[in-house]
Amino acid sequence: MNETILLTKHMRDNPEDSHLIESYEKNNGYTTAKNTLLNSSPENILEEIKSSNIRGRGGAGFPTGVKWGFLAEDEDRYLVINADESEPGTFKDRILLERDPHQLIEGMIITCFSANIKEAFIYIRGEYAKPARRVQQAVEQAYEKGYLGKNIFGSEVDLDIVVHLGAGAYICGEETALLNSLEGRRGEPRLKPPYFPAVKGLYMKPTLVNNVETISSVPWIIENGGEEYNKLGVEGSTGTRIFSLSGHVNNPGNYEIEMGTSFGEFVDTLGGGIRNNKKVKAYIPGGASAPWFRGDQLDIKMTIDDVANNNSMLGSGAVVMMDEDTNLVSAAKSIVSFFAHESCGQCTPCREGTTWLEMILDRIASGRGRTSDINLLLDVCDNISPGLTWPPKMTTICPLGPSAVSPITSLMNDFRDEVESLIPTKVLL
Amino acid sequence: MSDKVNLNVNGIDIQSDSNKLLIEACEDSGIHIPRFCWHKRLDPVGMCRMCLVEIETPRGKMLVPSCTTEITDEMVVDTESDVVKKAQEGVLEFLLINHPLDCPICDKAGECPLQDQTMAYGPGESRFVEEKRHFEKPINISEIILLDRERCILCARCTRFSDEISGDPLIEFIQRGNKTEVNTFPNEPFKSYFSGNTVQICPVGALTSTSYRFKARPWDLKSTRSTCNGCSMGCSIELNSSQNKMLRILGVDNDSVNQGWLCDKGRYNFEYLNSEKRLKTPQKSINNNFVDVEIQDVYSELSEIIQDRKTKVNFLLGSNLANEDYVAFREFSKSISDTEQSFYINDDLLYQGHFGQDNELAKIDDLNSSDAIVVWAEDLKEKMPVLYLRVRQAVKKGVKLIVFGHTNKTLSDIADVFYGKETVSKNFEIIKDVSKLNEIKNYVIGKNVTAIIGKSTPQQSDDSVTELFEFLRSNSNTKILNAYTKGNIYGAFQTLENIKGTRDFVENISGENTDLLFIVGADPVGRSFYSNQIKSIIENLDTVVSLDIFNHETAELSNFVIPVSSTLGEKEGSFTNIEFRTSRIDKLVPSPGQTVSDWEFITSLMNFAGLSNDSNSLEDLNNKAFVNIETSSKPVFDNLDKPSNLDGIINVYEPAINTSENNSTEALFYTGEKLYGDSVTERHSESISLLGSKKFIEVSQDIVDKFNLTSGQCSMVQGDIETTVSYIINDNLPNDLIYIPINRRDLNKFDFSKEIKVLPSRVKEALNVN
Repeated sequence: MNETILLTKHMRDNPEDSHLIESYEKNNGYTTAKNTLLNSSPENILEEIKSSNIRGRGGAGFPTGVKWGFLAEDEDRYLVINADESEPGTFKDRILLERDPHQLIEGMIITCFSANIKEAFIYIRGEYAKPARRVQQAVEQAYEKGYLGKNIFGSEVDLDIVVHLGAGAYICGEETALLNSLEGRRGEPRLKPPYFPAVKGLYMKPTLVNNVETISSVPWIIENGGEEYNKLGVEGSTGTRIFSLSGHVNNPGNYEIEMGTSFGEFVDTLGGGIRNNKKVKAYIPGGASAPWFRGDQLDIKMTIDDVANNNSMLGSGAVVMMDEDTNLVSAAKSIVSFFAHESCGQCTPCREGTTWLEMILDRIASGRGRTSDINLLLDVCDNISPGLTWPPKMTTICPLGPSAVSPITSLMNDFRDEVESLIPTKVLL
Repeated sequence: MSDKVNLNVNGIDIQSDSNKLLIEACEDSGIHIPRFCWHKRLDPVGMCRMCLVEIETPRGKMLVPSCTTEITDEMVVDTESDVVKKAQEGVLEFLLINHPLDCPICDKAGECPLQDQTMAYGPGESRFVEEKRHFEKPINISEIILLDRERCILCARCTRFSDEISGDPLIEFIQRGNKTEVNTFPNEPFKSYFSGNTVQICPVGALTSTSYRFKARPWDLKSTRSTCNGCSMGCSIELNSSQNKMLRILGVDNDSVNQGWLCDKGRYNFEYLNSEKRLKTPQKSINNNFVDVEIQDVYSELSEIIQDRKTKVNFLLGSNLANEDYVAFREFSKSISDTEQSFYINDDLLYQGHFGQDNELAKIDDLNSSDAIVVWAEDLKEKMPVLYLRVRQAVKKGVKLIVFGHTNKTLSDIADVFYGKETVSKNFEIIKDVSKLNEIKNYVIGKNVTAIIGKSTPQQSDDSVTELFEFLRSNSNTKILNAYTKGNIYGAFQTLENIKGTRDFVENISGENTDLLFIVGADPVGRSFYSNQIKSIIENLDTVVSLDIFNHETAELSNFVIPVSSTLGEKEGSFTNIEFRTSRIDKLVPSPGQTVSDWEFITSLMNFAGLSNDSNSLEDLNNKAFVNIETSSKPVFDNLDKPSNLDGIINVYEPAINTSENNSTEALFYTGEKLYGDSVTERHSESISLLGSKKFIEVSQDIVDKFNLTSGQCSMVQGDIETTVSYIINDNLPNDLIYIPINRRDLNKFDFSKEIKVLPSRVKEALNVN
């Protein structure tokens, strides 16, 4: 299989200076935005987005056109770009921010034109220092050119963009926690209902929160038409996606492909296979929150629906391969430790439960497990995510708690023997 | 009125107001859902997850927190399903894994929601074998509040109270996840007038107060419901005692008054009851020395004086007496004289007020339903802290707030319009024509307005607020709360006729017209704008009898000092608050030594002296208290004690206040009172004396520049009198003015009609060295 290059074209063609406005404009950058503002209408743009059938690239896969349609009427509305890319295994937004920030800005101009928004924010994760510098520079360049500010391209359209750097909290990728953080509050998810961002978002005003990759796709969709985009990929998962491939593969990295091929083909061709010709024991199809697939499930298609039908999620497009030598208990413990560390602390089950899970896994992984620990693990998981179903039910405000449960249920469903083998059956005195 | 909706909870059909949350709707119908973070008076946060219930949705049954779920018609709810029970058990186990096993030494044990709900819903045994989370055991977050973070279950009640209700968010979450803790900001103690409320609403023993810590177990406590007499708000309180010692005061949720909240002064100013320095025996001054005497001797000496029909008797009454005490003095005066007797109340700010028609008098609840609130009075946060909370609550609901006056520092922060020195002159008169103040016009004309109006400082003329009130009355639908702030002053209004204040006392009283003066529960020499004048008057009277619980500056000048019981917890009676709401005062602990109630003393004296007396019991006095009220809901004990009337009975009443007109004078200083001072009870309450230990004045920036003040300290000098104080810059004060809180003895000793010099304290130190 081959890549289908839409979003990463400019950065590939101009590896030296793709982040600069001169380079971007040389390759027809900002012409789509200019044409849109001068010749199109907000309704047309929304129609193109809807007909493209693009679904959000942040993880939940919500249809972008539908989301835009939900935005409540108000004098003040905001667009917030969620660039708090923190899901372990995911590094796709990083290249879009670092190497093609103008594509994102152009997408934001078109989006704001369509949604009649005059103020937008880019919330970048705290650790992304270089991407943040590049984006800030790009925004300043766009202001200098008159592509941001008042009367953009000589039209009646105004738009201001503020770049905001987070302070290093995974939870701020959850959109309502992101809004809290942007407002200067503790980064804690808000109660839903009533605080759906499209109705009560930033400063309690209707707010569109979209992922970097989603909005970076907008210029291509508008330039080439929603119908053209819809032809790429498969029904329900149209267009291309940038997958971040990592783990025990020969060629880890970001790959832009049309959705619809199988994980196995993706790994074998673009990924160059598993290191040392080992077999895959398990893999994560969509970021650390996603339940794992077994090595014998590599023929699952890389679409949002196929993965969901197999009780996991394509999520943020982070594919992590674990070969036959992997200690899966340690792998699960790493992931659970991450979530325990990143819990915001609001909800009791997540605050207390994730840390407890971490402690139990640590005990088992280091050979100090008890036979009762397996049932204990599952029961603690059940108290965070009742029924251990997929999609998860939860006793918490946001899905961070249940995310810590995912690797454990995977482990217990498919690799229980491996866990049990680590628990000593005899106690030496 | 909101619509009714029908729900089905656990198979039972219930009906509720549509604006209720699920947890409230269930509670109203007798279905209890366990909870930790949810509190009726706070915004829901849905953090503890204890109140999870299942509701039917188009996508099947869903677990939702009932404290954040708004009810809808036809909602089907299960609060007892297996899934719900499992989730609740899980939440409790999570809360307990890091909760220390402190119960045997924890003050909360026995009245602890975590304990109770663990028993009712908890897992019974622990599966947690790791080490629990540790924090430094209790840390002082203020002089009187301790925080044990190990016990904290992070329910956000204290943080929400401080943010939403009291508006001083000094306590907050820090860190995140498993390391989350509640704490104060570095170098900023939890210095709130309302900090004690957080101790009361803490669902575990994380927040404790020094005054109650390790003093008693809840199951040993005796308790009764009473009314706080600290200011004229009349908050409903619960008194707790053990082994006949008062140990704690809690706020009772009286929907129309304090809604469960108390100020820290109301909550902690009871420790004096247990003081060793209480007066326990009657005393007589012989050659400037007090000697213990028998009460019979006092009666007989006083009887001789009052049996002389020419004896002229006067009364200076404190504002902390029960209604029945006032009635006793009224009956006493009637029995010795046919002429109408004036009663002087120990209040520097007493003036005629604005009563008029009954329907123009506001209830506290009117604040919430007004379009705007206009305040021109003493600083409410200092003088009636819980009324300040009610004003804040109304403002939060969108009611506009317009505030006048330089000394209203705390209200200026939340006011929509603040009229300070640009609009109000130095001597407290509105400089401009009120009808030309555009900001206020926008908010009040044609609107429902509640006006809180009273004098701000003794220097203010009595009629200075009249123009404002008349403007409001003629341009809007205005109701007024007359802001007399002192204790049971409204009880005095209801029970006494011909009331005057300390200013009239100074003008009227002399040896010419007074042979015998009763000073009851008052220390005007220690704490009054007129203290110097009052002192010289008292010194020149023949016979002065003080009734009080401690010896103090005024009592020391008396011929007789009679120890009496405190209105707080040591006697029964009734109390009337700012909206003429009368409620019960109850007795919980015995008073020490030979103390008597004020009414007992005076009726005994009447009997001893053979005066005609037909009221020998508290009930008799209570029945005579409300002579001018003829409604069937007269607030007598029989009515007040009915369960439906525990929150009090309102009887609007126009009092007979007869003060002489006070004209304004050019003010050299403003005097007022801060919440904490060093009154005789505060001095003997450890918590309050800690809170009020700092002595300070407020000055304009001008003064700072003019006198070159830099160190935060200055010296005040007037003749031989001299004191060092801290100063705070108050930008609202007009140029060249100083605001002096005179509820402190060392700031009260100046003559406020004469100049006081302010010097940088460093210069003074330098002078001392030379």
